[in-house]
Amino acid sequence: MSYLNIDAQAQNTYDAIVIGSGISGGWAAKELTGKGLRTLVLERGRDVRHVTDYPTTNKQPWEFEHRNQLRQEVREANPIISKCYAFYEGTEQFFVKDAEHPYVQDKPFDWIRGYQVGGKSLMWARQTQRWSDFDFEGPARDGFAVDWPIRYADIAPWYSYVERFAGITGNKDGLATLPDGEFLPPHEWNCVEKHFQQKVAAKYKDRHVIMGRAAHLTQPQPIHFQQGRAQCQHRTICERGCPFGGYFSSNSSTIPWAAKTGKMTLRPNSVVHSIIYDEKKGRATGVRVIDANTKQMQEFYARIIFLNAAALNSNLVLLNSTSNRFPNGLGNDSGILGKYAAFHNYRAGISGEYDGNLDSTTDGRRPNSPYIPRFRNVLKQETNFLRGYASGFSAGRISRSDQSGVGADLKENLLNPKLGGWYVGSHMMGETIPKETNYLALDPSLKDPFGIPQLKISIAYDDNDDKMVKDYQEQLTEMFTEAGFKNIRVRDSHAAPGLDIHEMGGVRMGKDPKTSMLNKWNQLHAVKNVFVTDGACMTSTSTQNPSLTYMALTARAADYAVKAMKKGLV
Amino acid sequence: MAGAVGGLISLPAWANGWTTETVVSSRQILSGSQTELLAEMVETIIPVTSTPGAKALNVHQFVQKMVADCYPKSAQENLSKGLDSLNDLAQKSFAKPFTGGDTTQRTALLTQLSQSTDSAQKDFYSLVKNLTIRGYMSSEYVMTNLTHYEFIPGRYHGCVPVPAKTVSQGK
Repeated sequence: MSYLNIDAQAQNTYDAIVIGSGISGGWAAKELTGKGLRTLVLERGRDVRHVTDYPTTNKQPWEFEHRNQLRQEVREANPIISKCYAFYEGTEQFFVKDAEHPYVQDKPFDWIRGYQVGGKSLMWARQTQRWSDFDFEGPARDGFAVDWPIRYADIAPWYSYVERFAGITGNKDGLATLPDGEFLPPHEWNCVEKHFQQKVAAKYKDRHVIMGRAAHLTQPQPIHFQQGRAQCQHRTICERGCPFGGYFSSNSSTIPWAAKTGKMTLRPNSVVHSIIYDEKKGRATGVRVIDANTKQMQEFYARIIFLNAAALNSNLVLLNSTSNRFPNGLGNDSGILGKYAAFHNYRAGISGEYDGNLDSTTDGRRPNSPYIPRFRNVLKQETNFLRGYASGFSAGRISRSDQSGVGADLKENLLNPKLGGWYVGSHMMGETIPKETNYLALDPSLKDPFGIPQLKISIAYDDNDDKMVKDYQEQLTEMFTEAGFKNIRVRDSHAAPGLDIHEMGGVRMGKDPKTSMLNKWNQLHAVKNVFVTDGACMTSTSTQNPSLTYMALTARAADYAVKAMKKGLV
Repeated sequence: MAGAVGGLISLPAWANGWTTETVVSSRQILSGSQTELLAEMVETIIPVTSTPGAKALNVHQFVQKMVADCYPKSAQENLSKGLDSLNDLAQKSFAKPFTGGDTTQRTALLTQLSQSTDSAQKDFYSLVKNLTIRGYMSSEYVMTNLTHYEFIPGRYHGCVPVPAKTVSQGK
């Protein structure tokens, strides 16, 4: 009988296991298989294949029964996910319904998830800015988190590496706060956005309005055609899945690329329970998986493990991976696992109107918008709050029709809308400070439908965030006023954390094992063959969108992991 | 008469039993006569001219489907009650059921509803009117023939001269 067991074990043994197939898991799969490793990719959700599994991608507006409005019963059954801007009739299939994976809101937190092959890379908003040394050096300078173990120079070549493959549109702006990348041609401005850019440049030497950098193929290169991707068609319905591969997703890019090597085994419907730690060997040896369909537990083994379950779930997996050696979670000698979680502050926005440039308008759609990099507390601490915020910005022309009355006149009016003035708007993307009191833990009694302890999320805004909201509103009002915008209105949504969909931390990188979980190669300090390269690894959050950094960190860590494996170090 | 003419068109075998009602609406919250009344109401809001009106584009079925599936129970009840009271108001106003009134009479009655001090009546009216406009403007006929929706423009130009006629675009 022992022969049978050995056979079973051999059959379930790979060189590497990647947990998760989203934006970072896809990169781990691509890099590890590309370097010749037989790699098992575990995904808790179902398979979603490029093009064929995008059921709504080619539907016309009138083909949606409810014109993309959510049904009442869906809204009532899903109060959390219904708050997400991208959740509508055409995208319901890509979001986790509230009842599917319950969690404990120790404080209000709207957790937005996509459980399928590709994860949230299918529905993301595709903004991809590099971080700068102002971000990586920030904690050491400002003293708000532990020092990052890496600097911009460590990751810069990896940014270039992933940008070339993913395809990033942008303009080389030459800003210290936002390093330039390997860009495809930038998207076009409209005249009011250009007007705002010029007004801001004339008044402030340290504030810049630039075209957003986004994962869209504005001019596909040979490497993109090799992936089977084509030019972005500006449909702006990306969250339904793009049949052109016009934007980057794991589904259109990294996962099929990994599959082409013949080295990848993709196992959907595989809910990871925990990572197996072998005390005699002093290393992780595999992963316990619950089959989502049969609920049977199964074990898979590998020499190295990449944990890319998305930030909060990677925390959950490590917290649930207990052994005699690690009774409080894998690699958790310091006791800080789950702590110092952080996110982005998207609470505030501003809108206005502009009555110039009335002889011109826009034509077509643009899946991107201008961007204002962080300008607060960059060179010195100048406000009463730590860190700063970046801002989105865009302008468009209002089209209105007179909807009063009924009959032939109304019909005529509806079919002949009149162009109004321009509207302008912006929203903030603020850095929040990782704090010990913002933490993740396992609930001692509540379990999810797979018998795994529910994640308890205890994360909230603080005074620093409130001050930042106020400053954003004041500064943007000043900039809007300077540009001659009228009817300026500021808002604070007071939304709970989570809707920013940029949760980070809990398994942070650092130099000292006493104050961090991962070293500079994203390895657990205490378990060298486990790598965490998704949002869980982030030491601080910056103001930039995090996805591009996850991609670069993953490619870098995979390169190190394979080299270290060959040297017998892991 | 229109129905009789439609019946002369030969349909493929699979289309037997294929009616507007079974295809468009999964859950009927209105009776047959209420549905007919709703059809006349949406047609009064957006009538046939040189192009089809709301009724011919099945906007009344769209309104019913939206209220049944996407609105709370209170809105469903208000739609049903509102339609019932529409005939009473018509009797008072021009001594005929709503469908018996001419365009001027029906239009005057809806205008009166829009200014009603009775909040239920006003809500009923604005619910139907808003959904009628939405259903009409997002119908295949209007988006294809009148507002020329483009699924794949493949472009964004930031500064073009304002065209003589504005075309509304959805997504």
